[in-house]
Amino acid sequence: MSESSSNKMPWVEKYRPKSMSEMALPSAKLKGHKVELAEELRKFIKTFFKEKRYNNEKNRKIKSFNRIHVEKEQEKLLTLSPEKVAILMEGPPGVGKTSIVYALANDLNMEVIETNASDVRTKKTLESKLNETVKSKGIMDFISESKDKIILIDEIDGLYGVTDKGAVPTILNIIDTTQFPIIMCSNEYKQNLQPLYNKIYKLEINPLSTDEMLRIATRILKNEHITKLKEETIKSIIEKNHGDLRGLINDLQGISQGSVGKLNIDLIRSLNRDSTEEIFLLIRDLFQKISTLRDARALTDKSDVDYNFLYKWVNENIPSFIKMNSELVEAYENLSIADQIFGRIQKTQNWSTLPYFYDLFAGGVAISRKTKEDYQGFKKVTFPRYRSTGMFSLTANERLVIEKIKKKYDISEIEAIQDFLPFLRVLAGTTRKQHKLISDWLELDATEKKILKIDSEK
Amino acid sequence: MVENIPIWRIKYLPKTLDEVCGRSIVKNRLKEYIKSENFPHLLLLGSEGIGKTTIANLFCQEFLGSFYEPNFQIIYADVPLTSEERDKARSEAHYSTGKLGRLAGKTITTPAFIQVKIKPFVRIKALGDVPFKILIVKNFEVLGSNQQGFRRLMESYGSNCRMILISHNVSGIIDPIKSRCQLIMIPPVDIKDFNTLITNVAKNENLMIDNGTIEHLYKITNGKIAKAIDLLQITSISDNTVSTDNLYENSMMLQKDLIRSLLLMTLKGQFDKARDLSRKVQSNYKYNVQELFLLLYNELTKIPLGTYALSNLITMIADADFRAIDGNDSDIQISNLISKLCYYSEFL
Repeated sequence: MSESSSNKMPWVEKYRPKSMSEMALPSAKLKGHKVELAEELRKFIKTFFKEKRYNNEKNRKIKSFNRIHVEKEQEKLLTLSPEKVAILMEGPPGVGKTSIVYALANDLNMEVIETNASDVRTKKTLESKLNETVKSKGIMDFISESKDKIILIDEIDGLYGVTDKGAVPTILNIIDTTQFPIIMCSNEYKQNLQPLYNKIYKLEINPLSTDEMLRIATRILKNEHITKLKEETIKSIIEKNHGDLRGLINDLQGISQGSVGKLNIDLIRSLNRDSTEEIFLLIRDLFQKISTLRDARALTDKSDVDYNFLYKWVNENIPSFIKMNSELVEAYENLSIADQIFGRIQKTQNWSTLPYFYDLFAGGVAISRKTKEDYQGFKKVTFPRYRSTGMFSLTANERLVIEKIKKKYDISEIEAIQDFLPFLRVLAGTTRKQHKLISDWLELDATEKKILKIDSEK
Repeated sequence: MVENIPIWRIKYLPKTLDEVCGRSIVKNRLKEYIKSENFPHLLLLGSEGIGKTTIANLFCQEFLGSFYEPNFQIIYADVPLTSEERDKARSEAHYSTGKLGRLAGKTITTPAFIQVKIKPFVRIKALGDVPFKILIVKNFEVLGSNQQGFRRLMESYGSNCRMILISHNVSGIIDPIKSRCQLIMIPPVDIKDFNTLITNVAKNENLMIDNGTIEHLYKITNGKIAKAIDLLQITSISDNTVSTDNLYENSMMLQKDLIRSLLLMTLKGQFDKARDLSRKVQSNYKYNVQELFLLLYNELTKIPLGTYALSNLITMIADADFRAIDGNDSDIQISNLISKLCYYSEFL
């Protein structure tokens, strides 16, 4: 590797561990017991191949037996139980789940077949990618030099929405037929993966300890000949990253390769990843600095804020940056089409249209602003708290009042809220006597009376 | 009056089928059913607030007589299941054994709504001396694909339980259901019967109201009795004599005035305020997006605008409605519509 190309490389790739021994190993739990992560995975892979080999041997005999004695009762083929075939690692981002698999494969001289969230993973594509590999063992037997493989299904929580029913059964199917061990990685529990959780063990990975992170950070900085960073600065960056080693390495690179001169607390704070602070900054940049589509794309590419979340921020904050109605209408038109595209992606799982969504909600919105003056300076950025009521849900107080109404008058909850309660409010608001009459009749207590009152005051 | 009810619309609720205002054709048909002690599944149609449920309810009371309580149930199709009900449905649901292999025993075949709300009632035999039970399902058109589940139910449990389905419009109902039901259109009250009823109420409550005002009342409430009585009661508080003027004034109060001010605000071009108000309206009245768009549309048609401008504005609402179905976050589509209306207002 030449000097120049290694400089351009992201440190995360450059310092990706080649072997388990040089890794910062997070602690892990299996079925509630603390286990040694490296040892556990090595054991898992070894037992898999041992038992698989034994099974294959037996199965070959069974098959030939079955073929010869067709008239006799056919013997069943041996299969491995799913928990011996596949394992799931669940833990926060950046602790090294993917790295450990690659390091392990390197140590054991194996190959990794990976599929991750950037691949399209519908039933068909998963099958075509993995099924060929997992079944081809029969042919591979003849080529003795061929490496054993590990199948890595990364970012499994980022898989398919509810609409795509194909993928989980496909993975289960692959578990049944595979000739290679499967390791899956996930950040959090997902309801739609329940069939998987039922069948296989889950290794819970904890965030890395501060000491481990400091050890890695010092090693990297030493290697890069960077001495300007004080230890307390490094520690505060580590603290910001909450056990996320990848985040830490990215931050270190950002600090030392960027403007080394002004290493201050502000800079570190601006590196605070995936927090509201970062989104605030991103939103401001989007509306106040961006003037071309390319800039907008660069900005969204650079940030690791979840787009699913980001475009709701954009929706909430358009009016504080764009005031002219003509520009507003253009911004919302773009955002609206973006939303439409996103809705279709979720329904059809056709992720290839995602780039349009990105460009429309970020760039399309940002460049709708054409007037330059009056848009600089500090603008309030608000958190998108509001959620449009797709579902009918009542507050506890409303529920109580409606229960009481229903005792007296047979009416559905929806009619009560949309039709009857507004009338009661108007009526109760006319005179004090009416208010008393109604609340006595409904036998309301003091807090419930407020429901009648609050709105009449408005 | 046994109990002094402060709400007139409940106080003057009809107690028997005979007391129901007007609609003698429907009433006669229902009475024949009662006489013959038998009727097919019914599908009652008619616009909102016209008295479909009241009529159906009274019919059931008279049909079932003293065994009304255990043999009658009313279900609102538009009230979503609570999480407890959902869990219950999941645990009780019928597991299919048809499939072999890894999918065996995995498929839930009954929709949750039918499992929790309908089946427990229709399964149990009718109690006492009645030919069958009666189940009323309100707002049936909301059920969508769940309507399919009713096809089997209506056949297999039909002898044990008759259903009365209630819906605003016939178009939302799938053909197989229509073919299994007797369709009954509930017409609006005509002005003569309306007049008799209101005069009666006014006499009871010591109100002065002349025929011209009653006609006006009929017009602004579209002949909906509950609305008319509500309006009468509000008006009566300030004045014993009901006139066209104070009726109109009070009707503004009862109207979905928030929707109107929302619309006016957008037409003044105030985006920020309009969006806040639209959110307030939605959370106060629990409207979903489609309902909000429909209300905006209804309100829009009442504003005196040129045909060209009106058609443009309606297209905007229709477009937003369509996108909200397609899209992921309906708030974005609402904001989009509001921004469009705001911008368009500059050219009005």
